[in-house]
Amino acid sequence: MSNLIANLNFSSARWSVFSRVLAATFGGYVLATSSSLFIGKLLLPTLGANQAIHIGLLLSFLVYACAAMWVFSVSSAGKAWLGLIKFNLSLVVLTWLLMLFFEVSV
Amino acid sequence: MVLFCLAMDKHREQILDKCIASTVVGFCRPTAWLVLLSTTYLSVESFGWSIGVAVLFGALTIATLLLILLLTYRAKTVPPVAVLLSLIVSISLVIR
Amino acid sequence: MKENFRQSMKWFHTWVGLIVGWVLFFMFLTGTLGYFYQEITRWMEPERPFIEHNISNERLLDIAQNYLSEHAQGVDEWDIMLPNARDQNLRVGWRKPPAAGAKRGKYQKTVLDISTGDKVDSRATGGGRLLYRMHYRLHYLPTKISYWLVGFCSMLMLLAVITGVVIHKKIFTDFFTFRAKKGLVGWLDIHNVLSVIALPFHFMITYSGLLFFLFTYMVLSSNLQLSDDEYSEMRKEIFPRTSHLESANEPKDMLKISHLYQQAKNTWQADELSYVEVFAANDINAQAQFVRHETDITYNPHDAVMVNAVTGEVIIQAPKEYTVSGMIHNGFFSLHEGQFAGPIARWIYFITGLIGTAMIASGLILWTTKRRPKQMKKLNGPDFGYRLVEQLNIGTIVGLPIAIAMYFYANRLLPIELSNRVNWEANVMFISWAILLLYPAFRPATKAWREQLQLAALVYMALPLVNILTTDKHIINSVLQQDWLLVAFDLSLFIIGACFAFSAYKYKTLTLDKKQLTKAAKARATKTKGVVVDKSLLPLQAMHRENS
Repeated sequence: MSNLIANLNFSSARWSVFSRVLAATFGGYVLATSSSLFIGKLLLPTLGANQAIHIGLLLSFLVYACAAMWVFSVSSAGKAWLGLIKFNLSLVVLTWLLMLFFEVSV
Repeated sequence: MVLFCLAMDKHREQILDKCIASTVVGFCRPTAWLVLLSTTYLSVESFGWSIGVAVLFGALTIATLLLILLLTYRAKTVPPVAVLLSLIVSISLVIR
Repeated sequence: MKENFRQSMKWFHTWVGLIVGWVLFFMFLTGTLGYFYQEITRWMEPERPFIEHNISNERLLDIAQNYLSEHAQGVDEWDIMLPNARDQNLRVGWRKPPAAGAKRGKYQKTVLDISTGDKVDSRATGGGRLLYRMHYRLHYLPTKISYWLVGFCSMLMLLAVITGVVIHKKIFTDFFTFRAKKGLVGWLDIHNVLSVIALPFHFMITYSGLLFFLFTYMVLSSNLQLSDDEYSEMRKEIFPRTSHLESANEPKDMLKISHLYQQAKNTWQADELSYVEVFAANDINAQAQFVRHETDITYNPHDAVMVNAVTGEVIIQAPKEYTVSGMIHNGFFSLHEGQFAGPIARWIYFITGLIGTAMIASGLILWTTKRRPKQMKKLNGPDFGYRLVEQLNIGTIVGLPIAIAMYFYANRLLPIELSNRVNWEANVMFISWAILLLYPAFRPATKAWREQLQLAALVYMALPLVNILTTDKHIINSVLQQDWLLVAFDLSLFIIGACFAFSAYKYKTLTLDKKQLTKAAKARATKTKGVVVDKSLLPLQAMHRENS
């Protein structure tokens, strides 16, 4: 037990990896979700609601994969988190804007 | 049957690319692509668009595997095998 | 993360592969076997009669109709599955009315003996179906948890495939490179070759695997965007179903199904029936749907012909309409399952699946091979992590095939009246796997590899013999009856055993001490012109040779 605590020495490499794992797993999932929402709204006029949502969902795995790869290639865990938050926020805002736009035009 | 023929078609040109240095190397690559295209056409014609493409990829996988194994262990046999297989291809195409 | 993108991805690829490599190996192996699950089930139910050659579809339909009229009255739907090369017996099935409080009744399936028209009782077994279901349901776990675990592993597999392509610098120039050398270079080349030649397949199978549970995994997104009603609407659009009439509870005699079949034959201009669904049999609303083998990956509306069973007229149905996204989604499913595949395409699927399995195995072995020189020099012996990986490698890469053979042994040797026989066959498989996973902890790695390879060889080669001793569906009889499926199965078992034997032999010669090794190498060099054959051969040749 004491060994474990001794090892818990916040060595930056291990924490960085752990932090990135969390970022990729949860942040990536949120990104996949928000991107699918975005694509769902984006394709709404061209394909209709069901297909748009469906395509958004189909592509979400790719987004997740790219997000995970990106998280592990940036130079620091902090940057990864920041980047994810930025991407997510932008997608959510864009989606919301699209929703407003469609409500207005329809 | 046609399927195996399709797989073997691909061998014909790729072998020459790798194994034997020759002056007609320049020829080989474009001919290889041509053969690949004709193989695709045959596959699609026999099996329809969706299944044909899937079968083509599968056949290419097997063909490449065989090719790599031959190249590694019995490199000298590759040209004669390729010629033999091409003959089998042509004959079975004619038969059907 | 590391100095550049490629290096980070290399680190990532290694870790992603390592964390779930063994589960993925399990999934790939059981999944690959799943392409032949009907054949495996056939072998595991030896009480079923040999295939009957030269019998007309009409006669089969009559036999089935007789049995169903007698035993399955008043149910909503009859299913008649005609024998084909994969599943060689006539089968009938129907769903019993639900028990009190249940939503759906239990589905009853039985094989009919063509000569007597009676049902065949075979031993209780999960068959090939249980084996391939483990592929996505694992075992001993509630399905919800399994689906998430499997999804996690599949996601990591997707990451491994993508990063693998990214880090492979010379993917085109090294396309045909396979340096059959000992150690790191050989294993790296094998891993690369196996990955690249079947790259479209690997990507397809992983992505389509994830798509199977799309709505489970992306639950947050679909809940945010769709209400429950919208969700079921969407599902109906993606997975359309043909409609049929319900029973009107007015009994009326139907025409014989074999006569109705003529309508289907007229539409198809060929006799290629696969199965028949009869709705509301012996009722005024009776309908029969004749379905042939798939001719398209997504959907060909002409594959099914619906006939009014009372009047004999063809019912023209509006074909199921697929949307573009529906076609993509269902197309991926079809490609993954390969239901459309005829015999040659099916063997190709099987071989490619084995290539994927070998790719994972070679990756795992590559990891230990790369670290072996450094680890072996450590003062207190290799690290725990290294030893764990090596042990899991031996126990899984050789151990799992042995465990699957044990599944087949259990099928032959467990007493037929054993209660819970289906579960016990699976238990035997997992107990053997557990033993084989623990065993390498007690042996030095090289010895453990060799011993398990030898065990695998023994176990597989002996299985056809056990078959001869315990049933009448063994290879000699199968050849006499021209039942080529069973012949192929027994032969494949033997060939797999032979491959393991060859691997064990090669492994032995390679782990001899250096002096003997160079002596042997010199002897071989004179024979095979200096190509030093070695351990890197083993799984590749094994996998290659399985495919008769």
